[in-house]
Amino acid sequence: MSEPTLTWNLARDVEELLRYRFMVHAFEAGTIVAVMAAVVGWYMVLRRQSFAGHTIAVMSFPGAAGAALAGLPSAVGYYVACGVSALAIGRSRRPGRGPASSARSGESAAIGVVQVAGLALGFLFLSLYSGVLEQLESLLFGTFLGIDSAQVLTLLIVAIAVLGALALAGRPLLLASLDPEVARARGVPVRTLDVGFLLLLGLAVAATSQITGALLVFVLLVAPPAAAQVLTPRPARSLAVSVALSLLITWLALSISYFSPYPLGFFITTFAIGVYLLAQLARHVSPRARDRRPPAPVAPPHSGSAPIPLA
Amino acid sequence: MRRSAIVVLATCALLGGCGSAEPRKEGSGGRLRVVAAENFWGSIAVQLGGSKTEVSSIVVNPETDPHSYEPSAKDARTMADAAIAIVNGIGYDEWASRLLAADAEEGQRGPLTLNVGDLLGYRAGDNPHQWYSPAHVHAVVDAIVADYEEALPADRTYFAQQKRAFETQGLARYDALIAEIRRRYAGVPVGYSESIFQPLGGALGLKLLTPYSFARAIAEGIEVSARDKQTVDAQVTGHRVKVWVFNSQNVTPDVQRVNELARAAHIPIATVTETLSPASDTFQQWQVSQLEALERALHEATGR
Repeated sequence: MSEPTLTWNLARDVEELLRYRFMVHAFEAGTIVAVMAAVVGWYMVLRRQSFAGHTIAVMSFPGAAGAALAGLPSAVGYYVACGVSALAIGRSRRPGRGPASSARSGESAAIGVVQVAGLALGFLFLSLYSGVLEQLESLLFGTFLGIDSAQVLTLLIVAIAVLGALALAGRPLLLASLDPEVARARGVPVRTLDVGFLLLLGLAVAATSQITGALLVFVLLVAPPAAAQVLTPRPARSLAVSVALSLLITWLALSISYFSPYPLGFFITTFAIGVYLLAQLARHVSPRARDRRPPAPVAPPHSGSAPIPLA
Repeated sequence: MRRSAIVVLATCALLGGCGSAEPRKEGSGGRLRVVAAENFWGSIAVQLGGSKTEVSSIVVNPETDPHSYEPSAKDARTMADAAIAIVNGIGYDEWASRLLAADAEEGQRGPLTLNVGDLLGYRAGDNPHQWYSPAHVHAVVDAIVADYEEALPADRTYFAQQKRAFETQGLARYDALIAEIRRRYAGVPVGYSESIFQPLGGALGLKLLTPYSFARAIAEGIEVSARDKQTVDAQVTGHRVKVWVFNSQNVTPDVQRVNELARAAHIPIATVTETLSPASDTFQQWQVSQLEALERALHEATGR
């Protein structure tokens, strides 16, 4: 069989890329996941909840192991485990009384406990399950080659639900994320939004980890939003930049890994880190960007002139 | 965000129209493209197909464990381009079935798939190593030829000849050795490290003393229970097993220890491997050399 090769003829390359249905499914799933992760991740980075996001991502391991034990499809395990852990973390978040730092440290300790408990459960399920947990590696690092049309449809439904919810609650959530006190004073249901956002994060993580694997969810959830927030302080614009970067990274990584023998995870992380570093570099090089102060309503409290940092 | 949703929908609609190009089912010179997930089935498919087929196997490296194989994009293309796909099933090569599912589309015909587990009526959790069962090897030979005849009805006589030649000449020594070992050594108690040997040991009429849970735990890479470990050790040190058979591709510390005990107790040792070893051997060359070594070990142990 002739090996496909990359040429300078872009139209030919695209034709070659989409010749097989498994690649079409990979691009469909990748596109859905890239958009959803970029939007949800944008809020996650803004709210400095990366640790919570990471914990939820790790939960796909006990989820998959538990589903194997119960004889259910692993996707069901992903969604249940990620949803339950999101609720557990949401419950542990105390309303902001007392100094912010102490509330935050109590919260991260609680998240840590959820994480270890989940991992321990995963190991228990694994030893109870007598067979081999198929594809443990692809569970951790993802695979784009085995996505069927039913999975694409599920991803699409989850993405529409998550993005729809964020479209409805986006504005109050932004305010609640930046300044909970002001939001509360204006009658925004901060606590409900807190838990609700974690649940959306859980859904997004469960969906994303089926493509990127549990360990690499972060690539799409953190890097594009963090880079976008470095590049521009305006919420709408930075959200759009985040989506664009995420799509660019995903499409590029999928295309290159089709033509190469190396795994997708390597390319996707390399491009994502590259994009983040370039964004940082651009900020340091461009004097306009360096001097720019984030406009008042968007600036996170006590952040000074620094753009929204990576949580 | 509403804009993002539109982007997603638009892209999906756009992509939905692609990927309908007809895969290249025919190899060079009009030969039928056949893909086997593992080379033990691939080797049989090559010999049955002769000049009418072009067979490629995906797992060929003896160092690779088919359980945890991670397919590459090239493997996915090979699968998608095949007219006939042979997979083991029984939870052994889930990745191969996933590749086939990923390339499937409603209403379109994918490769004609021969799933050995489905053919034999085995399910995930059963012993997947059925290429170690002589009766099942013959059943798969029948099924492969039936698929060839369905794909190329014009070449029926050719495939019938190929099948006869393979069964009467190719597998002659393999079948004869099995009958001979069975006649001479049936009932001899042996121990074995891994469930791959269980179907063959049963066909040879040997008395398999090792607890199946031990052999299965070693094969699947899960922890061996302390009780099974004690039983196996005691069977070797107490000379209750006459021959110890182990998989040289999967020597875990537990197996290593039993090997040492067997050596110390002067119990003859025979080896088996999971996939063709060396990879250039045919299925029957590989099986025959293992059976000959096993026969020598049985002879040494019993003097028969």
